[in-house]
Amino acid sequence: MSEVTDQHGAALRTTRELAQAISSVERGGPAADALIQTALTRLASERSQNAVVIGVTGPPGAGKSTLVGALAERARAAGRRVAILAVDPSSVQSGGALLGDRVRVEERPGDEGRFVRSIATRGSGRSLSHTAAAASLLVEAAGFDLVFIETVGAGQADLGIVRLADLVLLVEGPEGGDEVQAMKAGLLESAHLVVVNKSDRPGADRAVERLRSGLALGHDAPEVLLASAVDGSGVAELLTALEGLAVTRSGGGLQRRIAAHLAAAVEARAALRLRDAESDGRLAALAQSIATGERPLSGAVDELLKG
Amino acid sequence: MAERTAPIRVLIAKPGLDGHDRGAKVLARGLRDEGFEVIYTGIRRTTEAIIAAAIEEDVDVVGCSILSGAHATLLPKVVAGLRDAGAADVLVVAGGIIPEEDRAGLQAAGIAAIFGPGSTIAEIATYLRAHVRSN
Repeated sequence: MSEVTDQHGAALRTTRELAQAISSVERGGPAADALIQTALTRLASERSQNAVVIGVTGPPGAGKSTLVGALAERARAAGRRVAILAVDPSSVQSGGALLGDRVRVEERPGDEGRFVRSIATRGSGRSLSHTAAAASLLVEAAGFDLVFIETVGAGQADLGIVRLADLVLLVEGPEGGDEVQAMKAGLLESAHLVVVNKSDRPGADRAVERLRSGLALGHDAPEVLLASAVDGSGVAELLTALEGLAVTRSGGGLQRRIAAHLAAAVEARAALRLRDAESDGRLAALAQSIATGERPLSGAVDELLKG
Repeated sequence: MAERTAPIRVLIAKPGLDGHDRGAKVLARGLRDEGFEVIYTGIRRTTEAIIAAAIEEDVDVVGCSILSGAHATLLPKVVAGLRDAGAADVLVVAGGIIPEEDRAGLQAAGIAAIFGPGSTIAEIATYLRAHVRSN
């Protein structure tokens, strides 16, 4: 890990410090705020180029983890310092999570130019955006220049990723992407690049055609590539395409991530305040006051946000 | 002990060469249902890879499942590696087939607990909650 020293140099010097810092932002609170401040100060004072942050999403089973692992291997071999933040859902029932993305990533003990961290969603999509934005700032401040944030391909969590990433890569399997799906609003419209993975399997070429013809109906259609994380074909081309897009898109990337982090932090606190209002009965009282005509809806919302 | 606000993070690892991971998977799923965040690393991992993963994931517990008979060499290496990495506060526990006569030696080497066949998920979860570091 790069030996960045400044007046805040206590944190983020080693892999262990970075790992503990991410745990801290997952928990939240004053210590987490201080760590993020440290990261921001360091990022502001460094002249080096900003990191490229790539959000990777797609349906379960499309092979996101394996593909990200293959991209990371190749980028690392080319001298990039690569971090992977792999997000998996927490169980709504137990609050626990099974985080299995490491199974598909080659372990390289001793290589400090790689960092892999599994993140459970713990609660709502909003809190995930908060954690993911904070974690990406921390890894960036620790000197990683290529960051993959991998998410489950559904829901609000992904929209948060879109907000903070420089680029969004959508991974589809060979059976995915019928034309109508490609026209629907959602993940596909926020993708900057689409890849059909598992090109070693039958049907992948046709999936590419389906996606291309569906996307061609819109404007600004992303390119659709073909790759196989398993046999490695197309992975180099995919990385080149991502890096090419990053050059044109990553201007202001750090500012975008700081803004995404701050927006998520505000949302998280507003959500907390709403929960408090729910538990101490104020929410119910306000609802009652709307029902009796004492207040209009908008007046009740103003009252609530005033605290 | 201070009450934890965050879920306990557990790395489930299969060190060495045996590929029988049914037990490890059952445990991973069971602990998830008990509210733990479980990081499963897959089979045939070196001790160095397990230690590096434990540090990156900042886990509270490393659980090693071993059926190969190599526990006497592999498990103390995990404990020593974590200590050398400054993570001596990570609890190391083991599961699998470990003969009675080897247990005292492993415990002396820093393996906190050994769960043999017949151990229940509830029993393991209770042990971990009671012995894990506070936040």
